[in-house]
Amino acid sequence: MCKDLPPLERAVQFHGHVCPGLLMGIRVAEFAQKHLGVNQDIDEELVAIVETNSCGVDAIQSILGCTFGKGNLIYKDYGKNVYTIASREKKRAVRIAQKYRDKKSPESIRYRELNNQDHLTEEEEAEREDLLALIFENTMSAPFEDLFNWQDIDLVFPEKAQIHATIQCAVCGEGVMDSKATESAEGLICKACLLAKEGLA
Amino acid sequence: MCESNVYIDRAGHEELLMESVDRIIPAEDGSIFMENIFGERKVVKARIKEMELVHHRIILEEIDRPEVLERNQEIWLEPDTDHGHFHAGEEVVLKLSKGYNMKPDQGADYSAMEAFAVNEGAADPIHIHDHHDSKEINLGQEADGLLQIYVHEHGIRELYAKVVMEIGHHHHHGLQPLGLPLEIVPSDYSHACMGESYEIQVLQNGQPLAGAEVKVTYASTRSKDYPHHLTTSEDGRTKIFLSARGNYLFSVATQNITSTFTLVKSF
Repeated sequence: MCKDLPPLERAVQFHGHVCPGLLMGIRVAEFAQKHLGVNQDIDEELVAIVETNSCGVDAIQSILGCTFGKGNLIYKDYGKNVYTIASREKKRAVRIAQKYRDKKSPESIRYRELNNQDHLTEEEEAEREDLLALIFENTMSAPFEDLFNWQDIDLVFPEKAQIHATIQCAVCGEGVMDSKATESAEGLICKACLLAKEGLA
Repeated sequence: MCESNVYIDRAGHEELLMESVDRIIPAEDGSIFMENIFGERKVVKARIKEMELVHHRIILEEIDRPEVLERNQEIWLEPDTDHGHFHAGEEVVLKLSKGYNMKPDQGADYSAMEAFAVNEGAADPIHIHDHHDSKEINLGQEADGLLQIYVHEHGIRELYAKVVMEIGHHHHHGLQPLGLPLEIVPSDYSHACMGESYEIQVLQNGQPLAGAEVKVTYASTRSKDYPHHLTTSEDGRTKIFLSARGNYLFSVATQNITSTFTLVKSF
Protein backbone atom coordinates (compact mmCIF):
# COMPACT_ATOMS: atom_id res chain seq x y z
CA MET A 1 0.00 0.00 0.00
CA CYS A 2 1.10 3.54 -0.62
CA LYS A 3 1.61 5.74 2.37
CA ASP A 4 -0.45 8.86 2.78
CA LEU A 5 1.03 12.02 1.39
CA PRO A 6 3.37 13.65 3.92
CA PRO A 7 1.55 16.53 5.69
CA LEU A 8 3.59 19.17 3.94
CA GLU A 9 2.89 17.74 0.49
CA ARG A 10 -0.77 17.37 1.41
CA ALA A 11 -0.99 21.04 2.33
CA VAL A 12 0.74 22.16 -0.87
CA GLN A 13 -1.50 19.94 -2.97
CA PHE A 14 -4.59 21.29 -1.24
CA HIS A 15 -3.52 24.94 -1.49
CA GLY A 16 -2.16 24.61 -5.01
CA HIS A 17 1.22 26.25 -4.49
CA VAL A 18 3.90 26.93 -1.89
CA CYS A 19 3.86 30.37 -0.31
CA PRO A 20 5.13 31.87 2.96
CA GLY A 21 1.65 32.01 4.49
CA LEU A 22 0.99 28.34 3.84
CA LEU A 23 4.35 27.41 5.38
CA MET A 24 3.45 29.28 8.57
CA GLY A 25 0.16 27.37 8.69
CA ILE A 26 2.05 24.10 8.25
CA ARG A 27 4.24 24.94 11.26
CA VAL A 28 1.10 25.69 13.31
CA ALA A 29 -0.64 22.47 12.29
CA GLU A 30 2.40 20.28 12.93
CA PHE A 31 3.04 21.94 16.30
CA ALA A 32 -0.58 21.51 17.37
CA GLN A 33 -0.58 17.82 16.42
CA LYS A 34 2.56 17.17 18.40
CA HIS A 35 1.62 19.35 21.37
CA LEU A 36 -1.87 17.92 21.74
CA GLY A 37 -0.80 14.40 20.74
CA VAL A 38 -3.46 14.09 18.06
CA ASN A 39 -3.73 12.81 14.52
CA GLN A 40 -5.67 14.17 11.57
CA ASP A 41 -9.33 14.66 12.42
CA ILE A 42 -11.80 12.14 11.10
CA ASP A 43 -15.11 13.31 12.49
CA GLU A 44 -14.87 16.41 14.66
CA GLU A 45 -12.49 15.11 17.31
CA LEU A 46 -10.62 18.35 16.72
CA VAL A 47 -11.77 21.94 16.47
CA ALA A 48 -9.85 24.82 14.92
CA ILE A 49 -10.80 28.42 15.55
CA VAL A 50 -8.97 30.60 13.06
CA GLU A 51 -8.83 34.38 13.21
CA THR A 52 -7.81 34.85 9.60
CA ASN A 53 -8.88 33.63 6.19
CA SER A 54 -5.37 33.72 4.71
CA CYS A 55 -3.23 30.94 3.18
CA GLY A 56 -2.23 29.34 6.49
CA VAL A 57 -5.80 28.18 7.09
CA ASP A 58 -5.48 25.76 4.18
CA ALA A 59 -2.69 23.99 6.08
CA ILE A 60 -5.02 23.72 9.09
CA GLN A 61 -7.71 22.18 6.91
CA SER A 62 -5.48 19.77 5.00
CA ILE A 63 -3.16 18.64 7.81
CA LEU A 64 -5.45 18.72 10.84
CA GLY A 65 -8.62 17.83 8.97
CA CYS A 66 -10.55 20.70 10.54
CA THR A 67 -12.51 21.76 7.52
CA PHE A 68 -15.15 24.24 6.49
CA GLY A 69 -17.36 21.41 5.27
CA LYS A 70 -17.24 19.38 8.48
CA GLY A 71 -18.01 22.41 10.56
CA ASN A 72 -15.01 22.04 12.86
CA LEU A 73 -13.24 25.02 11.32
CA ILE A 74 -14.61 28.13 12.94
CA TYR A 75 -13.67 31.37 11.24
CA LYS A 76 -13.51 34.64 13.11
CA ASP A 77 -12.91 37.55 10.79
CA TYR A 78 -10.30 39.34 12.94
CA GLY A 79 -7.50 39.57 10.38
CA LYS A 80 -5.02 38.01 12.83
CA ASN A 81 -2.76 35.04 12.29
CA VAL A 82 -4.04 33.37 15.42
CA TYR A 83 -5.15 29.76 15.61
CA THR A 84 -6.79 27.91 18.49
CA ILE A 85 -6.60 24.16 18.07
CA ALA A 86 -8.50 21.93 20.45
CA SER A 87 -9.02 18.23 21.02
CA ARG A 88 -12.45 17.17 22.30
CA GLU A 89 -11.09 13.76 23.36
CA LYS A 90 -8.17 15.18 25.34
CA LYS A 91 -10.12 18.22 26.52
CA ARG A 92 -7.16 20.39 25.68
CA ALA A 93 -6.73 23.51 23.60
CA VAL A 94 -3.74 25.56 22.53
CA ARG A 95 -3.81 29.13 21.20
CA ILE A 96 -1.04 29.91 18.75
CA ALA A 97 -0.33 33.48 17.62
CA GLN A 98 2.15 34.46 14.96
CA LYS A 99 4.69 36.92 16.35
CA TYR A 100 4.55 40.43 15.04
CA ARG A 101 7.74 41.59 13.39
CA ASP A 102 8.15 45.23 12.49
CA LYS A 103 11.23 44.41 10.45
CA LYS A 104 10.80 41.93 7.64
CA SER A 105 13.78 40.01 6.28
CA PRO A 106 15.24 41.36 3.01
CA GLU A 107 14.21 38.15 1.21
CA SER A 108 10.62 38.53 2.41
CA ILE A 109 10.47 42.15 1.29
CA ARG A 110 11.85 41.34 -2.14
CA TYR A 111 9.63 38.26 -2.49
CA ARG A 112 6.54 40.31 -1.74
CA GLU A 113 7.67 42.98 -4.18
CA LEU A 114 7.99 40.41 -6.95
CA ASN A 115 4.77 38.69 -5.99
CA ASN A 116 2.85 41.93 -6.29
CA GLN A 117 4.03 42.51 -9.84
CA ASP A 118 1.61 41.59 -12.62
CA HIS A 119 4.34 40.40 -14.92
CA LEU A 120 7.75 38.99 -14.13
CA THR A 121 10.70 38.73 -16.48
CA GLU A 122 12.42 35.35 -16.68
CA GLU A 123 15.18 36.65 -14.41
CA GLU A 124 12.65 37.91 -11.88
CA GLU A 125 10.78 34.60 -12.00
CA ALA A 126 14.04 32.76 -11.27
CA GLU A 127 14.79 35.21 -8.45
CA ARG A 128 11.34 34.65 -6.99
CA GLU A 129 11.84 30.87 -7.01
CA ASP A 130 15.21 31.31 -5.31
CA LEU A 131 13.74 33.58 -2.65
CA LEU A 132 10.86 31.22 -1.99
CA ALA A 133 13.29 28.31 -1.53
CA LEU A 134 15.22 30.40 1.00
CA ILE A 135 12.07 31.49 2.85
CA PHE A 136 10.89 27.86 2.81
CA GLU A 137 14.08 26.59 4.41
CA ASN A 138 14.18 29.41 6.96
CA THR A 139 10.52 28.96 7.92
CA MET A 140 10.72 25.20 8.29
CA SER A 141 14.01 25.20 10.20
CA ALA A 142 13.35 28.11 12.57
CA PRO A 143 12.58 27.24 16.20
CA PHE A 144 8.79 27.37 16.65
CA GLU A 145 9.09 29.93 19.45
CA ASP A 146 10.91 32.30 17.10
CA LEU A 147 7.83 32.44 14.91
CA PHE A 148 4.91 32.01 17.30
CA ASN A 149 3.69 32.59 20.84
CA TRP A 150 1.56 29.79 22.21
CA GLN A 151 -0.30 28.94 25.39
CA ASP A 152 -2.59 26.21 26.63
CA ILE A 153 -6.03 27.64 27.28
CA ASP A 154 -9.33 26.55 28.79
CA LEU A 155 -11.76 26.46 25.93
CA VAL A 156 -15.50 26.20 26.10
CA PHE A 157 -15.91 23.75 23.27
CA PRO A 158 -18.41 24.75 20.60
CA GLU A 159 -21.19 22.29 19.86
CA LYS A 160 -20.59 19.77 17.13
CA ALA A 161 -22.04 20.63 13.74
CA GLN A 162 -25.79 19.97 13.49
CA ILE A 163 -27.52 18.32 10.58
CA HIS A 164 -30.75 20.09 9.69
CA ALA A 165 -33.64 19.21 7.45
CA THR A 166 -33.85 20.72 3.99
CA ILE A 167 -37.07 22.49 2.99
CA GLN A 168 -38.10 24.11 -0.26
CA CYS A 169 -37.89 27.89 -0.60
CA ALA A 170 -41.33 29.27 -1.39
CA VAL A 171 -39.88 31.75 -3.92
CA CYS A 172 -37.05 30.10 -5.86
CA GLY A 173 -38.00 26.51 -5.21
CA GLU A 174 -34.47 25.51 -4.24
CA GLY A 175 -33.70 23.52 -1.14
CA VAL A 176 -32.61 25.38 1.98
CA MET A 177 -31.60 24.32 5.49
CA ASP A 178 -34.68 24.85 7.67
CA SER A 179 -32.73 26.74 10.34
CA LYS A 180 -31.65 29.27 7.72
CA ALA A 181 -35.10 29.90 6.19
CA THR A 182 -37.15 32.98 7.03
CA GLU A 183 -40.91 33.30 7.40
CA SER A 184 -42.41 35.68 4.82
CA ALA A 185 -45.73 36.46 3.14
CA GLU A 186 -44.83 33.81 0.52
CA GLY A 187 -43.99 31.25 3.17
CA LEU A 188 -40.53 30.06 4.25
CA ILE A 189 -37.90 31.55 1.99
CA CYS A 190 -34.15 31.34 1.68
CA LYS A 191 -31.70 34.12 2.53
CA ALA A 192 -30.99 34.94 -1.11
CA CYS A 193 -34.66 35.47 -1.88
CA LEU A 194 -35.10 37.47 1.33
CA LEU A 195 -32.26 39.81 0.34
CA ALA A 196 -33.66 40.14 -3.19
CA LYS A 197 -37.04 40.98 -1.78
CA GLU A 198 -35.50 43.68 0.38
CA GLY A 199 -33.54 45.01 -2.58
CA LEU A 200 -30.22 44.07 -0.98
CA ALA A 201 -29.11 41.27 -3.27
CA MET B 1 29.21 20.44 -48.78
CA CYS B 2 30.70 19.23 -45.52
CA GLU B 3 30.65 21.29 -42.34
CA SER B 4 29.89 25.02 -42.37
CA ASN B 5 30.48 28.04 -40.22
CA VAL B 6 27.27 29.49 -38.83
CA TYR B 7 26.90 33.24 -38.50
CA ILE B 8 24.14 35.25 -36.94
CA ASP B 9 22.96 38.51 -38.42
CA ARG B 10 22.58 41.15 -35.71
CA ALA B 11 21.23 44.39 -37.14
CA GLY B 12 23.08 43.91 -40.41
CA HIS B 13 26.30 42.83 -38.74
CA GLU B 14 27.37 39.19 -39.00
CA GLU B 15 28.90 37.45 -36.00
CA LEU B 16 30.43 33.99 -36.06
CA LEU B 17 28.24 31.78 -33.89
CA MET B 18 29.81 28.37 -34.35
CA GLU B 19 32.51 26.86 -36.53
CA SER B 20 32.44 23.56 -38.42
CA VAL B 21 28.80 22.78 -37.85
CA ASP B 22 27.74 19.43 -39.24
CA ARG B 23 24.20 19.20 -37.93
CA ILE B 24 21.35 21.71 -37.76
CA ILE B 25 17.86 20.87 -36.53
CA PRO B 26 15.14 23.54 -36.56
CA ALA B 27 12.56 23.03 -33.80
CA GLU B 28 8.86 23.83 -33.76
CA ASP B 29 9.34 26.48 -31.08
CA GLY B 30 11.41 28.60 -33.45
CA SER B 31 14.79 27.63 -32.06
CA ILE B 32 17.61 26.02 -33.99
CA PHE B 33 19.80 23.30 -32.55
CA MET B 34 23.29 23.00 -33.97
CA GLU B 35 26.22 20.72 -33.35
CA ASN B 36 29.74 20.89 -34.72
CA ILE B 37 32.37 18.29 -35.46
CA PHE B 38 33.97 18.94 -32.05
CA GLY B 39 30.80 17.91 -30.27
CA GLU B 40 29.85 21.44 -29.20
CA ARG B 41 26.15 22.24 -29.23
CA LYS B 42 24.10 25.38 -29.18
CA VAL B 43 20.47 26.32 -29.36
CA VAL B 44 19.57 29.72 -30.74
CA LYS B 45 16.27 31.49 -31.21
CA ALA B 46 16.68 32.28 -34.90
CA ARG B 47 15.67 31.43 -38.42
CA ILE B 48 17.87 30.47 -41.35
CA LYS B 49 18.38 33.57 -43.50
CA GLU B 50 20.77 32.28 -46.13
CA MET B 51 22.85 29.19 -46.94
CA GLU B 52 25.98 29.75 -49.01
CA LEU B 53 26.83 26.14 -49.58
CA VAL B 54 29.84 26.73 -51.82
CA HIS B 55 31.41 28.94 -49.18
CA HIS B 56 30.39 26.71 -46.27
CA ARG B 57 28.47 29.54 -44.67
CA ILE B 58 25.06 29.50 -43.04
CA ILE B 59 23.60 32.79 -41.92
CA LEU B 60 20.93 32.97 -39.24
CA GLU B 61 18.69 35.86 -38.37
CA GLU B 62 17.56 36.50 -34.81
CA ILE B 63 13.92 36.27 -33.94
CA ASP B 64 11.90 37.22 -30.88
CA ARG B 65 14.61 37.21 -28.32
CA PRO B 66 17.97 38.95 -28.54
CA GLU B 67 20.00 36.54 -26.45
CA VAL B 68 21.59 33.33 -27.59
CA LEU B 69 20.91 30.36 -25.37
CA GLU B 70 24.15 28.56 -25.02
CA ARG B 71 24.30 25.29 -23.14
CA ASN B 72 25.08 21.66 -23.47
CA GLN B 73 22.33 19.15 -23.86
CA GLU B 74 21.81 16.52 -21.21
CA ILE B 75 19.67 13.43 -20.83
CA TRP B 76 17.47 12.42 -17.93
CA LEU B 77 15.02 9.75 -16.82
CA GLU B 78 11.69 10.12 -15.07
CA PRO B 79 9.26 7.44 -13.95
CA ASP B 80 5.87 7.36 -15.58
CA THR B 81 4.05 7.41 -12.27
CA ASP B 82 2.67 10.20 -10.14
CA HIS B 83 3.52 8.74 -6.75
CA GLY B 84 7.23 8.11 -7.02
CA HIS B 85 7.39 4.34 -7.04
CA PHE B 86 5.90 1.30 -8.70
CA HIS B 87 4.05 -1.52 -7.03
CA ALA B 88 5.17 -5.11 -7.43
CA GLY B 89 3.52 -6.47 -10.57
CA GLU B 90 2.91 -3.00 -11.98
CA GLU B 91 4.33 -2.17 -15.41
CA VAL B 92 7.48 -0.12 -14.82
CA VAL B 93 7.82 2.61 -17.42
CA LEU B 94 10.40 5.38 -17.52
CA LYS B 95 10.51 8.38 -19.80
CA LEU B 96 13.83 9.32 -21.36
CA SER B 97 14.34 12.95 -22.35
CA LYS B 98 17.08 15.03 -23.91
CA GLY B 99 17.29 18.78 -23.51
CA TYR B 100 18.17 21.11 -20.69
CA ASN B 101 16.75 22.05 -17.30
CA MET B 102 14.09 19.33 -17.58
CA LYS B 103 12.79 20.95 -20.77
CA PRO B 104 13.07 18.44 -23.62
CA ASP B 105 14.37 19.67 -26.97
CA GLN B 106 12.20 19.01 -29.97
CA GLY B 107 13.88 16.85 -32.57
CA ALA B 108 16.64 15.63 -30.24
CA ASP B 109 18.66 12.68 -31.49
CA TYR B 110 18.41 9.53 -29.38
CA SER B 111 20.14 7.17 -31.78
CA ALA B 112 23.43 6.65 -29.90
CA MET B 113 21.99 5.66 -26.56
CA GLU B 114 21.92 2.46 -24.58
CA ALA B 115 20.19 1.72 -21.31
CA PHE B 116 20.87 -0.66 -18.42
CA ALA B 117 19.06 -1.76 -15.30
CA VAL B 118 21.28 -2.59 -12.34
CA ASN B 119 20.02 -4.77 -9.53
CA GLU B 120 22.33 -6.22 -6.87
CA GLY B 121 25.36 -5.22 -8.96
CA ALA B 122 24.34 -6.96 -12.19
CA ALA B 123 23.70 -4.69 -15.19
CA ASP B 124 21.19 -5.88 -17.78
CA PRO B 125 20.79 -4.04 -21.09
CA ILE B 126 17.28 -2.74 -21.67
CA HIS B 127 15.54 -1.58 -24.80
CA ILE B 128 14.75 2.07 -25.47
CA HIS B 129 11.67 2.40 -27.61
CA ASP B 130 9.58 5.10 -29.22
CA HIS B 131 6.44 6.27 -27.54
CA HIS B 132 4.55 8.97 -29.43
CA ASP B 133 7.03 11.86 -29.64
CA SER B 134 9.29 10.70 -26.83
CA LYS B 135 11.40 7.72 -25.73
CA GLU B 136 10.54 5.17 -23.12
CA ILE B 137 12.09 2.35 -21.21
CA ASN B 138 9.68 -0.39 -20.24
CA LEU B 139 10.88 -2.86 -17.64
CA GLY B 140 7.66 -4.81 -17.76
CA GLN B 141 5.81 -6.23 -14.79
CA GLU B 142 8.53 -8.52 -13.50
CA ALA B 143 10.89 -5.90 -12.10
CA ASP B 144 11.23 -5.84 -8.32
CA GLY B 145 13.35 -4.25 -5.64
CA LEU B 146 15.52 -1.19 -5.71
CA LEU B 147 16.78 -0.73 -9.26
CA GLN B 148 19.30 1.70 -10.63
CA ILE B 149 18.60 2.48 -14.26
CA TYR B 150 21.02 4.42 -16.38
CA VAL B 151 21.31 5.56 -19.97
CA HIS B 152 24.53 6.31 -21.77
CA GLU B 153 24.83 8.33 -24.96
CA HIS B 154 28.07 7.78 -26.81
CA GLY B 155 29.72 10.65 -28.63
CA ILE B 156 32.39 13.27 -28.41
CA ARG B 157 30.50 14.45 -25.39
CA GLU B 158 29.37 11.51 -23.25
CA LEU B 159 25.98 11.85 -21.63
CA TYR B 160 24.73 9.80 -18.69
CA ALA B 161 21.36 9.74 -16.95
CA LYS B 162 20.62 7.78 -13.79
CA VAL B 163 17.58 7.20 -11.67
CA VAL B 164 16.87 4.99 -8.68
CA MET B 165 13.49 3.31 -8.79
CA GLU B 166 11.72 1.58 -6.00
CA ILE B 167 9.48 -1.24 -7.10
CA GLY B 168 7.36 -2.54 -4.30
CA HIS B 169 8.11 -0.98 -0.94
CA HIS B 170 11.73 -1.78 -0.21
CA HIS B 171 13.70 0.45 2.08
CA HIS B 172 17.39 0.27 1.43
CA HIS B 173 20.19 2.51 2.50
CA GLY B 174 23.66 3.02 1.10
CA LEU B 175 23.25 2.39 -2.60
CA GLN B 176 26.39 1.25 -4.36
CA PRO B 177 27.76 3.53 -7.09
CA LEU B 178 27.47 2.13 -10.60
CA GLY B 179 31.04 3.03 -11.53
CA LEU B 180 30.16 5.57 -14.23
CA PRO B 181 33.03 7.88 -15.22
CA LEU B 182 31.05 10.77 -13.72
CA GLU B 183 28.28 9.85 -11.34
CA ILE B 184 25.93 11.46 -8.85
CA VAL B 185 25.21 9.17 -5.92
CA PRO B 186 22.57 9.86 -3.25
CA SER B 187 24.30 9.83 0.15
CA ASP B 188 21.48 8.05 1.90
CA TYR B 189 18.79 6.52 -0.21
CA SER B 190 15.53 6.87 1.57
CA HIS B 191 12.24 8.55 0.83
CA ALA B 192 13.08 12.15 0.10
CA CYS B 193 10.41 14.63 1.08
CA MET B 194 9.72 18.24 0.40
CA GLY B 195 10.84 20.35 3.33
CA GLU B 196 13.96 18.25 3.99
CA SER B 197 17.58 18.48 2.90
CA TYR B 198 18.91 15.97 0.41
CA GLU B 199 22.59 15.17 0.02
CA ILE B 200 24.40 13.73 -2.97
CA GLN B 201 28.01 12.88 -3.73
CA VAL B 202 29.74 13.36 -7.06
CA LEU B 203 32.22 10.69 -8.09
CA GLN B 204 34.65 10.91 -10.97
CA ASN B 205 36.04 7.51 -11.87
CA GLY B 206 34.92 6.32 -8.46
CA GLN B 207 36.66 9.11 -6.52
CA PRO B 208 34.93 12.06 -4.82
CA LEU B 209 35.05 15.15 -7.02
CA ALA B 210 35.65 18.31 -5.00
CA GLY B 211 34.69 21.79 -6.16
CA ALA B 212 32.36 20.59 -8.89
CA GLU B 213 29.35 22.69 -9.79
CA VAL B 214 26.14 20.71 -9.38
CA LYS B 215 23.10 22.29 -10.98
CA VAL B 216 19.73 21.38 -9.56
CA THR B 217 16.30 21.89 -11.05
CA TYR B 218 12.77 20.54 -10.70
CA ALA B 219 9.98 19.82 -13.10
CA SER B 220 7.81 22.79 -12.14
CA THR B 221 10.45 25.48 -12.43
CA ARG B 222 9.57 28.45 -14.59
CA SER B 223 13.18 29.48 -14.76
CA LYS B 224 14.87 29.19 -18.14
CA ASP B 225 18.11 28.09 -16.54
CA TYR B 226 18.77 25.84 -13.57
CA PRO B 227 17.42 27.57 -10.46
CA HIS B 228 20.03 26.16 -8.07
CA HIS B 229 23.81 25.95 -8.35
CA LEU B 230 25.74 24.06 -5.68
CA THR B 231 29.43 23.30 -5.21
CA THR B 232 30.75 20.01 -3.89
CA SER B 233 32.86 19.91 -0.73
CA GLU B 234 36.23 18.20 -0.42
CA ASP B 235 34.57 14.81 -0.19
CA GLY B 236 32.45 15.53 -3.26
CA ARG B 237 29.25 16.11 -1.33
CA THR B 238 26.65 18.82 -1.47
CA LYS B 239 23.05 19.15 -0.37
CA ILE B 240 19.92 21.06 -1.18
CA PHE B 241 16.75 21.84 0.71
CA LEU B 242 13.82 20.42 -1.25
CA SER B 243 11.32 23.24 -1.61
CA ALA B 244 9.37 22.19 -4.70
CA ARG B 245 6.91 19.45 -5.48
CA GLY B 246 7.74 16.71 -7.96
CA ASN B 247 11.01 15.25 -9.11
CA TYR B 248 14.38 16.96 -8.93
CA LEU B 249 17.20 16.71 -11.45
CA PHE B 250 20.85 17.03 -10.45
CA SER B 251 23.38 17.66 -13.21
CA VAL B 252 27.15 17.77 -13.19
CA ALA B 253 29.54 18.25 -16.08
CA THR B 254 33.23 17.93 -16.77
CA GLN B 255 34.95 18.79 -20.01
CA ASN B 256 33.61 15.81 -21.93
CA ILE B 257 30.87 14.31 -19.77
CA THR B 258 27.49 15.45 -18.51
CA SER B 259 25.86 13.20 -15.95
CA THR B 260 22.43 13.58 -14.37
CA PHE B 261 20.62 11.99 -11.48
CA THR B 262 16.87 12.19 -11.07
CA LEU B 263 15.61 12.30 -7.52
CA VAL B 264 12.17 10.76 -7.44
CA LYS B 265 10.27 11.88 -4.39
CA SER B 266 8.26 8.98 -3.06
CA PHE B 267 5.46 8.48 -0.61
